[in-house]
Amino acid sequence: MSGLLSSGSLLRRNPRLLQVPPYLSFLCIAIGVAWLLLLPLDNYSRRTYISENALLPGQVHTYFAGSDQNVFRGYKREVDELVEKSNAEVNDKLEEFFKASGLKVARQKYEYRSAGETYSGENVYAILHAPRGDAEEAIVLLGAWTNVEGELNKSGVALVLTLARYFKRWSLWSKDIIFLITADSRAGPQAWVDAYHDTHQKGIQSLPVKSGALQGAVVIDYPFDHRFESIHIVYDGINGQLPNLDLLNTVVAIASGQMGIGASLQKMWQHKDSYKDRLTTMLRGMMNQGLGHASGPHSSFIPYHVDAITLQPFGEGWEDEMAMGRVIESTFRSLNNLLEHLHQSFFFYLLMQSNRFVSIGTYLPSAMLVAINFTIMAIFLWVKSGAPSTTNSKVASTDKKSGPLSIIQEGDAKALIPKQILEETEREFFLPLAVVVGSHFLGVLPLYLFNHTPEIMLPSVFFIFAIVNNIFPFLISTALIRSFNPSHQQYQLIKAFSLLFLGMFLSSLATLNFSLAFLVGLLAAPLTYVQSFPNRPITTTLFVILLSLLTPTTVLLASSFYWNLGVGEVLKEAAFGWDVWGMNTQVVVWCVWWPAWVVGMIQLAGKPRNEKPKPEKAAVKS
Amino acid sequence: MKLLNLLRLPAVLASLLAPVAVTAEHTSNWAVLVSTSRFWFNYRHLANVLSLYRTVKRLGIPDSQIILMLPDDMACNPRNAFPGTVYSNADRAVDLYGDNIEVDYRGYEVTVENFIRLLTDRVGEEMPMSKRLLTDDRSNILVYMTGHGGNEFLKFQDAEEISAFDLADAFEQMWEKKRYHELLFMIDTCQANTMYSKFYSPNIIATGSSEIDQSSYSHHADNDVGVAVIDRYTYYNLDFLETHVREPSSKQTLADLFDSYDESKIHSQPGVRWDLFPGGERGGRERLVMDFFGNVQNVEVDSVGNATEFKEDLLALGKKIAEIRERAEAQEAAKKNLSTPEPPLAGNHKMRKIRAAKVQADERSWGKTAVGVWALAGCSLVWWFGSHLESAA
Repeated sequence: MSGLLSSGSLLRRNPRLLQVPPYLSFLCIAIGVAWLLLLPLDNYSRRTYISENALLPGQVHTYFAGSDQNVFRGYKREVDELVEKSNAEVNDKLEEFFKASGLKVARQKYEYRSAGETYSGENVYAILHAPRGDAEEAIVLLGAWTNVEGELNKSGVALVLTLARYFKRWSLWSKDIIFLITADSRAGPQAWVDAYHDTHQKGIQSLPVKSGALQGAVVIDYPFDHRFESIHIVYDGINGQLPNLDLLNTVVAIASGQMGIGASLQKMWQHKDSYKDRLTTMLRGMMNQGLGHASGPHSSFIPYHVDAITLQPFGEGWEDEMAMGRVIESTFRSLNNLLEHLHQSFFFYLLMQSNRFVSIGTYLPSAMLVAINFTIMAIFLWVKSGAPSTTNSKVASTDKKSGPLSIIQEGDAKALIPKQILEETEREFFLPLAVVVGSHFLGVLPLYLFNHTPEIMLPSVFFIFAIVNNIFPFLISTALIRSFNPSHQQYQLIKAFSLLFLGMFLSSLATLNFSLAFLVGLLAAPLTYVQSFPNRPITTTLFVILLSLLTPTTVLLASSFYWNLGVGEVLKEAAFGWDVWGMNTQVVVWCVWWPAWVVGMIQLAGKPRNEKPKPEKAAVKS
Repeated sequence: MKLLNLLRLPAVLASLLAPVAVTAEHTSNWAVLVSTSRFWFNYRHLANVLSLYRTVKRLGIPDSQIILMLPDDMACNPRNAFPGTVYSNADRAVDLYGDNIEVDYRGYEVTVENFIRLLTDRVGEEMPMSKRLLTDDRSNILVYMTGHGGNEFLKFQDAEEISAFDLADAFEQMWEKKRYHELLFMIDTCQANTMYSKFYSPNIIATGSSEIDQSSYSHHADNDVGVAVIDRYTYYNLDFLETHVREPSSKQTLADLFDSYDESKIHSQPGVRWDLFPGGERGGRERLVMDFFGNVQNVEVDSVGNATEFKEDLLALGKKIAEIRERAEAQEAAKKNLSTPEPPLAGNHKMRKIRAAKVQADERSWGKTAVGVWALAGCSLVWWFGSHLESAA
């Protein structure tokens, strides 16, 4: 009996077993989502800890105080006077300041073009050579002239200037320190990092002066004058890459442990350490990671494996700019202690509080389960597509003597099995493959369209595309039926290939950008259950409405409405990300998710050819 | 019977031998001080070793008899806020690096292989004398080690480790090669006591900072240097040595030192191993701290001439007689079918020591005689020539 059971061909046709996969894949999605919701609990997340022995955070006295405050005020006044000046004039002055502190200064012009707009500016930076070091490594202190919101980073720039002067007085640096002031927070840092690693496009100047390999970067974003309450740490990198957790832990340990300043993440200005707050922080982090955009000047450093974070003071409190300076000083002393690149701690993590995280081993199954649901369904459809269309499951299971029998032998065991079970119909490959591959290639069209349309035309192009998008699958479907009249098997195969590709892609993406894989997987989940329902118009309509709500264009529209942004703005940002940051979220959306959706719609609108032996519907139902 | 007469002889000799046994003390003191870890954040391990180096130098062991192994140069690390110095206390009263320091093994020379070669003296001819442990069977050695360790191992430089077995075998080889008289092994690392658990060679007293599964902790950090500067166990050892053993004539015993360990201060459970030492714990506790941490005070003068030769002959004779007697006793005991009572460890030890005594035979006596005869002849020739001149005048 066991020999019989283990026989693959029998298993494949086991009617009970064939009922399992749809439920199984639904279970995968449910468990995947539940898993994610469990993560903020104490039992599943862990407290952060410093892994790198060398860092020794907060073990040094900081001396940035006293007369340096007067220096800061001086620089602050100078910066205030530069407010209305042009980029070049500002840099002339900044260069003067850096030179007065005894540092080597250089400048870099850059120009990017994206969505019909030009982004240009000039970065200025100064290098403090480690007096007793060997110039093989460097750390960067960055203050952008304007921050991500476009505000003038006046206290931040003044603080960089003051710290440059202050750091120059110490002789204990083992690495060079680069003080960088970029013209803006989005293009400038990218131009500088690209040029530092000699991967810059044309339009961007090479750097005249360089130092050693970058070991870390800290960005100060301090656009106001008043005292602050605590520090907001921004850590997301481009394409969902993250800095080493040790860097973040170091800053948190220094800020809260040594200086008594709180640290918060993901714009959670209040965090009560409740389940809800933890979950919100985590979901916001996932959203930033999934979008893959630059959340601050530090983001551009991370793809080069330079661990970087942005520190933003916020709130009304009694901490002054010198406290901020001391946090930076202590952080730099810790980074200075490093003997090798940060590598001990995690690169893949979800944070739910400044001192609580889950690592990849704990959260990965969640996205994997969602991705696997597609694969299970794909395999199931493949198996089913091989069954002869006349097969009625009831015949196979109960009425054993009805059909011709054949002998199966496995080892010593032999069995008589109805021939029907063993039959395998020939699968017609060409059409399904052509449809699936074709739709994926078609994805290049919106990808190109949205990344190369000038800004003014973006909203209109988008709306035209959104409308076309909702009609287009029906057109394709009609054309298919007219010219090829696909069989039921061919529809099954179309779906199988599409889901197979989706499942494989998402499970590999989950290891790189967990959040994006999870979000796309969740939004594409209904595709698992989409098929043609020829005689059930209500079901079909419901599915059409559901899919129309979950198409990339609608999701984009809904989310831009939710965040109070214009569609044009979002698309412009996406195009900027594509052109400047090398963001590849669009590729996932237009070349993976969208084609899968199109194929799903084709299924819904499809009408399988009527084959003479009728009980096709029964087979579909099972 | 001749044999009976011989058997009576040892009784006579005993009185002669007694002073020899008592003066079988050490004649030199050596110290092997090893830090096994590099990197800036391990500053304290180098400071540990350097403060011990300073202490043994203060108590009289000369640089030529200290082997100092430092795998990193903290004084010249660019991260050091006080270039050229190493401190083991946040008060920064004493610069341990100073201007009078002799590092014998530095940087990547500090390896397990070099350490074992040093102990067992298996070194090439090109090895300078200053890098060798030139001890003999009358040398007392202090071996101090610190670094990062675990259960029965001690890490060397992040690249390799020495196991408790390696160390035990190295000490056994030293004993076999008569390279020490008594040895004090001291180690400050996590799970330190496991490191001496495998020793099996005699005359060793061992002590460590922490039990198995226990960490050793640093004492305090200097917030200007930015790192921990000394470990707790070493700190309290030094504390004792500096407050109680102020001059080389100090009569503080090892018991005083070991009893000063306060678990609540050290934050781990220090251990002491006595069982390899003759006289066990009682014998070991009476040993002076200065026997290991300071240089030898009483000097034994090697007198030349017949007196010593005679003594040495007697000694050899006595040794032989004792052996014969032992054999006879053993035979007798065997005849009576009685198992011989196990000789006490101390007695056994004495026996081995007597065997260890050297009888120096002068191989070049003929040459010396010839030189003497020649000198004598020359003198008489000069005298004869002189008197001849006198008579001529």
